[in-house]
Amino acid sequence: MNRDIELLRRLCLLFGPSGCEGEVRSAIRESIRPCVDELEQDKLGNLIGYVDGADNSRTLMIAAHMDEVGMMITNIESSGQLRFDTVGGIDAAVLCGKRVVVWGHDRTRLPGIISAKPIHLQSKEEREKATTRKSLYIDIGASDRADAQRLVSVGDFAVFDSDFVRFGEAERRMKGKAIDDRLGCAVMISVLERLRAEGTVPPVRLAFAFTVREEVGFSGAKTAAYRINPSHAVALESTAIADLPDVSAHERVGDMGRGGVLSLADKGALYCRAFVGYALSVGREKDIPVQLKRYVSGGNDARHIQQSAAGVRVLALSAPTRYLHSASCVADLADYRAMQKLVYEMIVGFGRYLAKEDM
Amino acid sequence: MYQTLKELCRISAVSGNERALGEKIRTLIAPHVTQCHFDTLGNLIAYRKGRAAQPERVIFAAHMDEVGFLVNFIEESGFLRFAPLGGASLTAALYSPVVFAGGCRGLLLPETESLSKPSIEHCYVDIGAKNAKEAAKRVRVGETFSLAPSLSALTGSRWAGRPLDDRVGCAVLIEAARQMAEPENDVYFVFSVQEEVGCRGARTAAYAIRPDYGFAVDVTTAADQPADKVSVTKLGDGAAIKVKDNSVICDSRLVARMGELARARGIRCQYEVLTAGGTDASVIQLAGSGAVVGGISIPTRNIHSAVEAVDKGDVLAAAKLVAALAECPTGQLVEGGEGRA
Repeated sequence: MNRDIELLRRLCLLFGPSGCEGEVRSAIRESIRPCVDELEQDKLGNLIGYVDGADNSRTLMIAAHMDEVGMMITNIESSGQLRFDTVGGIDAAVLCGKRVVVWGHDRTRLPGIISAKPIHLQSKEEREKATTRKSLYIDIGASDRADAQRLVSVGDFAVFDSDFVRFGEAERRMKGKAIDDRLGCAVMISVLERLRAEGTVPPVRLAFAFTVREEVGFSGAKTAAYRINPSHAVALESTAIADLPDVSAHERVGDMGRGGVLSLADKGALYCRAFVGYALSVGREKDIPVQLKRYVSGGNDARHIQQSAAGVRVLALSAPTRYLHSASCVADLADYRAMQKLVYEMIVGFGRYLAKEDM
Repeated sequence: MYQTLKELCRISAVSGNERALGEKIRTLIAPHVTQCHFDTLGNLIAYRKGRAAQPERVIFAAHMDEVGFLVNFIEESGFLRFAPLGGASLTAALYSPVVFAGGCRGLLLPETESLSKPSIEHCYVDIGAKNAKEAAKRVRVGETFSLAPSLSALTGSRWAGRPLDDRVGCAVLIEAARQMAEPENDVYFVFSVQEEVGCRGARTAAYAIRPDYGFAVDVTTAADQPADKVSVTKLGDGAAIKVKDNSVICDSRLVARMGELARARGIRCQYEVLTAGGTDASVIQLAGSGAVVGGISIPTRNIHSAVEAVDKGDVLAAAKLVAALAECPTGQLVEGGEGRA
């Protein structure tokens, strides 16, 4: 029953900032190996699993990114404290005081904390100013520069150190780092497992792409899409849901617990209306909750896939997520499960949709 | 090497006007490669055939173009107004001599002396013309210009002038082509166009070449001056192996391999994590079905000014590292030769 939750927990705890996705890739490779007909890794490190369909002349691509936001060491101070840059967008306000894991020499996991000047020592001006990344540093307990250099180098990566916790009524909410986008990866793995378990032969060839480097914009999805050359693609994502007390209803992206969010438009792409319509109709027919994204914001791998080669019809289905790009992202179990069902049913019915589209 | 660099600096090549420089580079590199050609956008591609039966394709890219300006209006009075091409520093350009693509000379000036933060709308160029008619005889609207080129040795081992960004990279490639032993892999030295306006040339060159590996050879910030609290690289500490900048995260396996190779050959090097800026590596990585990329950078002070400064030892180290990477046997640039996945 809770196999999918265990899967998500396991994926969220892995170390995988953009450009350093190896650990996540290895875990996913082992999970999907029994469920795919062909498995390949491209030059950038995207992992692509193919499932043969009844008609292999067309390909449906399903994509989620393996990477998470993190940090990279830029400098080692004489005090042994580490200066860093963020890898992907992280608000400095959510960095301060957090636990991190630094991957040091030989991939040793070093516990660290992100610190700043304590309130006792701040001037009035400093207290009133917003924290910036440049005023923060990572402390790995080193006593001086030489001590730190024995453990880490400039260019080493770090990520948030954060437990995966279920909480709230019936434990339906899930909190962890990297839910963006391990949740998308977990949906893909669950769908692959179900296809194999039920012996479903999809109408077209399926390409499940676990991509790299989405968070920094130098998207691996671009080269993966070029290689796969699909006619249609579904990007599975996490979206900042914005259901905060001081955000009015029309400025919210959607609601927690009401299913995956389908985008019509964001800052990166205008989505294929017919394809979005198909996803909505599958939701209605199979009684799977799904909602439309209300507020135009953000962007994801779909933009790169859409413009690959001669163009691809794209769709983005995102998990409503609170506190995106922090140590504690929060998603809802019902949404996670609704996304698994919707993607599965969209695959099963895809042949009928294609027939209509081709008319 | 200093002489080569001096020759390259002398030829103006603002983005979009790189052909004359390309012709010069072609004559310098031709003796050391199998074949040279210019592609549609004007990239010069110097190709050295590898001896392996199934060679991998490796790109080393340095951009030919430099930041500059474009004349967009001639005042009745004969003064010229202009727009930027690439991120030239206006502060560093005030009261400086400039040279036009057609050879005309002028001075870049602010309207008022108290311009602490100059805006381009309040600057102009004086070419000594009495009126618009006379100015139009010497300079066309649409003509590009840049700060006057120069190169001098501050000391025997420190060189300063412009445009070291990225003539120093071009000189490094020429030197590496001269030094390198016969390679196993197919090596492509790409002298790219239009990098300063968004890495446009390298994108199409990489699409055509479909490389397994790509390296950008370019300058990087040496934040090692009095007001710099956090240094990116230091002049004199060797060639910089790029880990990340604002446009690319280099392949970590390749970064590790470059460090090993440098140590094995006694080439002085340092790691570079740049929180701004970008290079051709970004577009090579994402062209077609992708490439494994890295960067070899030359630590440089005062980038995009008339007094860019580099260290000779760093430049020579960069050339040695490029040659070492070009000579690397097929399948050994990253562990297990995963470049060709």
